[in-house]
Amino acid sequence: MSQPDPATQPRQRLLYLHARTPSVFSEILGYTPIEPLKDFRPEIIATDLDWPYKTVHDAIIDGWQIVQFPYLQAPFDDRDLDVVGYEFILQKMEVVSQ
Amino acid sequence: MTIDKKHLLTDVEVAKFIVTGYHMLELDLPNGTNESIAQQLDTLESNPGDAITDTVPELNQVLDHPATKGVLASLLGNDYIVQSHRHWHCKQPNSGHMQWHQDSVNRRDTNINRFLGLYYPTDITPDMGPTIIVPGTQFRNAPTDRMATYTNIRGQVPVVVKAGTIAFTHYDLWHGTAANRSPAKRHMIKFLFGRNTPNTAPTWNHDPDALNAPRDWNKKDKAEDANNILTFANPIGVSQSDHYKERQIRRQCWNELMGQTA
Repeated sequence: MSQPDPATQPRQRLLYLHARTPSVFSEILGYTPIEPLKDFRPEIIATDLDWPYKTVHDAIIDGWQIVQFPYLQAPFDDRDLDVVGYEFILQKMEVVSQ
Repeated sequence: MTIDKKHLLTDVEVAKFIVTGYHMLELDLPNGTNESIAQQLDTLESNPGDAITDTVPELNQVLDHPATKGVLASLLGNDYIVQSHRHWHCKQPNSGHMQWHQDSVNRRDTNINRFLGLYYPTDITPDMGPTIIVPGTQFRNAPTDRMATYTNIRGQVPVVVKAGTIAFTHYDLWHGTAANRSPAKRHMIKFLFGRNTPNTAPTWNHDPDALNAPRDWNKKDKAEDANNILTFANPIGVSQSDHYKERQIRRQCWNELMGQTA
């Protein structure tokens, strides 16, 4: 029996959103889309950023589902600064063609 | 070391460096110097490492320029150190982007004891794979591995500059590059500078009233005086918790430069 063509099947699209706070309503500071396409790589760009969503909530409205919420345990030393924002990982199962 | 006072930074420029972690300086090198340096770099077949200034001696004019000296003395003291380490970064045509990273290991410096000077001998356009920096990230202690899921960050600054610009960047500032999709090699020479002794007094063009401007809640991050810049500037719009921590670090940094904790 032949395997179905992957291009015709729903595949996992990922979206890493780094929000200002753990709230889904806070503004996004970082945006990384991952498409299920061979050789796809997101790129740092030197031109103006044009993101489709301002908040995680905007992405949820557009059909994205959160698969991982940010880790919220406070740092032991509250004077330290580490990564930028709070990372939400979202997915959408869709048929994606090249 | 003799420093021309007119090239020293102002309080506002020092405050902005503390907040953003960078300062751009366009050098007026003698006519043809940038072009000559770029031509020599274009034809280099191997990377001489620290010996790049021996291979292209005109690069010493960047270090010897009074405006360069003014920035270094302002931020690192009059006895600043020009480290022997330097490096030619050549980003070839059709080379991809470079992921965010902080140099070295995670022992971050919340004072200003060392920083880089990134000199560009040609105009840098967005398609040439410019260095990209994220203002205000220099005080973050983030393993580079943890940055792997970031791509574009709001407020990131492409170092798209005129030929002859040197960008002074805090050693711990998050940085990467865009892809070079142009037909040209993108050259950058990295210099490393350090502090020799802690300050006992400000070494820039300091006005004793610099921090006396009242806090202006209406201007916030559009402020143009040192006190309000140190208090309100939030170049990438981080959370209130992070911003409060940044404020503390900035004040500590300013006080160190003022010689108040030496």
